[in-house]
This record gives sequence, C-alpha cells and structure tokens, in this order.
Amino acid sequence: MKIFASLARGSLVAYTALFFAFIYIPLVLIAVYSFNANPINMMTWSGFTTDWYAQVLGYKTAITGDAFYVESTDQLVQAVFNSLKIAASTTLIATVFGTSIAIALYHFDFFGRRFYRVVLFMPMLMPDIVLGIALLIFFVNSGINLGLKTIIIGQCTFLTSYVFIVVSARLSGMDRTLEHASADLGANEWTTFRKVVFPQLLPGILGGALLAFIISMDDLVITYFIAGVDVTTLPMFIFAMLRRGIKPEINAIAVMMLSFSFVIASLGLYLRSRQK
Amino acid sequence: MRESIVRMEKAAKTFATPEGQTITALGGIDLDVRRNEFLTLLGPSGCGKTTLLQAISGFVELDSGRILIDGEDMTDRPPYRRPVNTVFQNYALFPHMSVGENTGYALEVAGIGRQDRARRVAEALRMVGLEGLEGRKPRQLSGGQQQRVALARAIIARPKLLLLDEPLSALDKNLRQAMQIELKTLQHELGISFIFVTHDQQEALTMSDRVAVLSGGRIQQLDTPRAIYDKPRNSFVATFVGASNLFEGEAAAGRLVTTDGIAISHGEQGSTGAATALIRPEQFFLADPGQAGPILDVDLEQIVFVGSTFELFGRTATGRRVIAEIPAMRRGLVGEIEQSRRARLSYDPSAVHLIPAEAA
Ligand SMILES: Nc1ncnc2c1ncn2[C@@H]1O[C@H](COP(=O)(O)OP(=O)(O)O)[C@@H](O)[C@H]1O
Ligand SMILES: [Mg+2]
Repeated sequence: MKIFASLARGSLVAYTALFFAFIYIPLVLIAVYSFNANPINMMTWSGFTTDWYAQVLGYKTAITGDAFYVESTDQLVQAVFNSLKIAASTTLIATVFGTSIAIALYHFDFFGRRFYRVVLFMPMLMPDIVLGIALLIFFVNSGINLGLKTIIIGQCTFLTSYVFIVVSARLSGMDRTLEHASADLGANEWTTFRKVVFPQLLPGILGGALLAFIISMDDLVITYFIAGVDVTTLPMFIFAMLRRGIKPEINAIAVMMLSFSFVIASLGLYLRSRQK
Repeated sequence: MRESIVRMEKAAKTFATPEGQTITALGGIDLDVRRNEFLTLLGPSGCGKTTLLQAISGFVELDSGRILIDGEDMTDRPPYRRPVNTVFQNYALFPHMSVGENTGYALEVAGIGRQDRARRVAEALRMVGLEGLEGRKPRQLSGGQQQRVALARAIIARPKLLLLDEPLSALDKNLRQAMQIELKTLQHELGISFIFVTHDQQEALTMSDRVAVLSGGRIQQLDTPRAIYDKPRNSFVATFVGASNLFEGEAAAGRLVTTDGIAISHGEQGSTGAATALIRPEQFFLADPGQAGPILDVDLEQIVFVGSTFELFGRTATGRRVIAEIPAMRRGLVGEIEQSRRARLSYDPSAVHLIPAEAA
C-alpha cells in the first residue's frame, strides 16, 4: 500500500514538473538566446551580449551586415506606440460597454435578455480569421478608410465580450442580499449601486480591462485584416520580421513584451489581492 | 398612541414555480403587532416566514391586501422608505466596509455628519458589546461578532420595528442561548417591537411575548407561548410545538373514546363530538400500585435517559405510540419498569386539552 502511495505521489510530482517545464522552458530559452552573441545560428551559444537589446532600442553596436534585421528602430517604436494607443482606446471603450451591458443584463429582466447574452458570446467563439474578413468587408462597404480608427472599432467588437464575461462572472458571484441590506438601511437604487455594488465589482472591472488591454496588444489576425496599409502594430511588425527568418532581435523584443505583460499581470494580481 | 405598530390586512402572495405550480406563500394573513412586543413567527421551512417579513420590509410585493406601519399605508412604498430595519439570516454585512462603516451605513445614507455618526456608531457597538472594533473588516470577526454587527447596523437608525430572519440559526448552541437573552434585553432597552423568525420552537417559547405559528402561508395560532403550548388550537400546532400524544376520537362529557377503544378522561365538560385529546409527555407520571383514576397501560419499547428526565417510548395494547417523560429523581420506579417493560401511566384529567375536530 505504502509503495503505491509513494508511487502515486512521485508520478504526480513528475507530472506537475513536466507540465510547467512544457509551458515555461520555451520562454526561458527565448530569454537565454536573447543574450546569445552568435548572429548566424542562434541555437548555438557563442557568448554573452546585450547587443540585441541595444540594437532594438536603436543604439549603435558592433553587429553589422546581415545580422541586423530591425531596419529602422523608428518603425519599431512607431509600431509600439500604435499598439499602445489602440490598446488604451479599446480598453477604455470595451470596459465601459462590457461593464454596462453586464450590469444591465444582471439587473433588468427584459425581452430578449437571453438572446443578448448569446450574441455577446459570439465574437469570442468566432474564428479570428472570419471576424477579420467580416470586419474588412463591412468597413470597405461602408466606405470607412482603414487605419487606427477601424482597428479600434474592430477590436472593440470582441474585447467588449471579454470584459462582459469577466464582469458578469463577478456579478453572479455577488451576494444579492447585500443590495437588500442596503435598501433596507435606507439607500435608494443609485446609492446602493455606488456604495455597495460598484466597489465590489471594481476588481472584476479592472480584471476585465487588463485582459482587454493584453489581448488588444497581442492581436494579430483580426488587426491584420483591418489595419490598412499605413498603420503597423507591434505584432504585425514582428510578424513581418519573422517572414524574413528568425533572428536574435526578435528574441530581445519578445523578452521585452513578456516583461511588459508580466508587469501588467502582476499589477492585476496585486489589485485583486488588495480588493479582497 | 396606536396600540398596533404593524397591521397586515388580508396579505396574500403566491409564487409560480418553474414547474408551473403556484405556491401560496401568504394565504391572506391578518396580523397585528403590538407596540413594544417581541413577536415570533414560528413554522417549518417553506411556510412563508421570510415572505411575511419581506412583505413588511418591502422586498416582496403583495398580490393583494395591505400593510400599515404605525398607521401609515406602506403597501406601495419602496423598502428604502420604510421605517423598519432587518437583521438578515446570513448577516449580509458589506465585505468591503469596516465594522464602523457597516454600522453607520444607515446614518451615512441619511446624510448625517461624520462626527454625529462616529458617536452613534460607538454607542450602537457598545450596546451589542463590540466597542472599539470599528476598524475591523467583517471577515476578521467570528460568526457571533458578525451577528452583533448586523444587529448594531439594524438598530442604529432607531427603526420603529426590527425584523430578524432566523438570526441565530447559524450559531452554536451556547452562543445561541447567550444571544437569545441579549436580544431580549436589547429589545427592552430600545423599546421597539421585534418580529423574530425561527423554526426552533424552544427558541420561540423562551423569547416571545407572543408566538404566531405558521403553516402553508397561514397563521395557525397567534398566542402567548403558554397558550400555544397548553392550548394549541389544532393538531398542527400541538405537534409542531413540543412533543405530544394525540388521541382522536369521540368526546362525551368528561371522556373521549378513540376508535381503537382507548378512553381518555378530560376536564372539559362541555365538549362533545369528534375531537382530539392532547396529553404532553410530562403530564404523565408512573402510577403507584393500586392507584385509582385514569390509567394508560403501555408496553415499553425504549427508555432514554436525557439528564433531567427519562423519556419512555411505548405502545398501547392496540399499537398506538405513547411518549412519556418522567423526572429523573424517580429513578427507583424507572428501575422497576425497566425490568417489567411495562408501565402504568396516569395523568391529571384537568390537564388534558381537547382540540375540536373542525380545527384539527
Ligand atoms: N422568489 C420566489 N420565487 C418562487 N417561490 C418562492 C420565492 N420566494 C419564496 N418562494 C416559495 O414560497 C414559500 C415560502 O417561502 P419562505 O417565505 O422563504 O419560507 P420560510 O422562510 O418560512 O422558509 C416556499 O415554498 C418557497 O419555495
Ligand atoms: Mg426563511
């Protein structure tokens, strides 16, 4: 019996270790190779360097010739700025819409309520490529010029769903009797919302907003269709680079993006823990 | 000053179940709650106690009938404009607010200034024995303390009436008994009426000025605890409150005979016709040999020692179940019947209560 127990335990440990290794080893490898001095074959270690980072950020380095793939740091910076601008706008819009819809569907019982719920799930279930094409056709037909504006509108269509789902989850976990208690103690609907519902909802709203931000920063397929020719976002920029071969600068960019996401996620977790 | 603080007139409420049935939660209830009264709503789960409370606090809209509080018609008033406060079953404390903020919520909402509020919060917390805990969060308190915060929060705005929906059901037995006494004291100090909901008959009997026994959305009996216990109006009340032995039969002057031939003597001379006789277990005692007067012979199935008493579970010759409670000081006698497994139970006919058949 004892042997079985320790065997089960051992395999559970091994399974867990493998699981995490599978997820995190590739990330660790990228981070490691981003410091590899070998310009030709990045899988072969030839020494430590921070040149790739310097390169990406536009500093002069010893690396020359073919190894250098970020043709213009300005373009990269522009792409990053585009992505940030888009993510900030879409996050704001999607958070306001998603939250309002979630609250409305929670509080009011009206005709077609269930139908709305389904409609709101749809953009998440739809394949990106279909959504991208659909949006493109829509924008072209309605004569809207492709650019930042269309990216923002397009991304909002599915980011609103994400915020809606996160906030709805928070709402459905909320204790309805708290609203009764508030009314019982003399607060009208608006005061109850302000003092009881909203403060409890806030972690959910922030969580939804962070999720929307990260997904927006990360979106390639849909954005690719509706970006037009003038606007390039960070994922589009990286994708364009990749088409010419995997080069060490990409590792450096990836590590920087990863760090950024990590900071955002940590911030989210921190806010959550404080709200609890 | 009006005698009644709450008056319900023909209050009715039905709910539709998802299966398409209708449930009568309130079946046309008439109720007067007196000023300064501790009134308990007692009944099994699902009998409509919460619905009745919520009709008063405004969370349940009546299908018909009306509700007056202190003479004012409340039927169409939203909950936040009714002069009543509630202690909720699960306490319903705001998790994101401190104890002080929770307690002062009603005052804050009413626009009362910070200083006044702080003073009254301190006072309310002192009344429930939680002085100085203003800064804690609800989750940092024990269940009993949370209960007290809920209480302080509900009384701080001096409501005309306090509603308590099974407030003690989540507490353990000792704490529960301590809180029962504290609640009584508090009600006395505040000088307001309490409507207290419980499904625990012991709690109802010990705490209340009057008890309303509910079943199926109707008040079966509204009376003092003693009247409820000694003179239940129907067999539902008799069985729900306390343990009981019921004998249905045909009553004649001084005697009731059941269909299986058992004769019960009773003191209610006037009653005749179909009726049910009630004998509480503690009204039986063990008859001395050769004793005259009414006797019930039973075969004992079980004798249970519960500390202050022995509980005897037996059957008559015709198979009817009988429960009797014998004071533990009569140990010697109990020893004897433990041997013989038979007992001769005697009782005082004047203590037997007759329930007329139409009420049962
Ligand atoms: N909102 C509701 N919808 C449907 N049925 C309800 C609702 N509220 C209460 N009921 C039903 O009404 C009856 C009385 O409920 P309630 O007043 O909560 O009983 P109690 O508090 O005595 O346990 C129960 O059968 C319950 O299932
Ligand atoms: Mg209830």
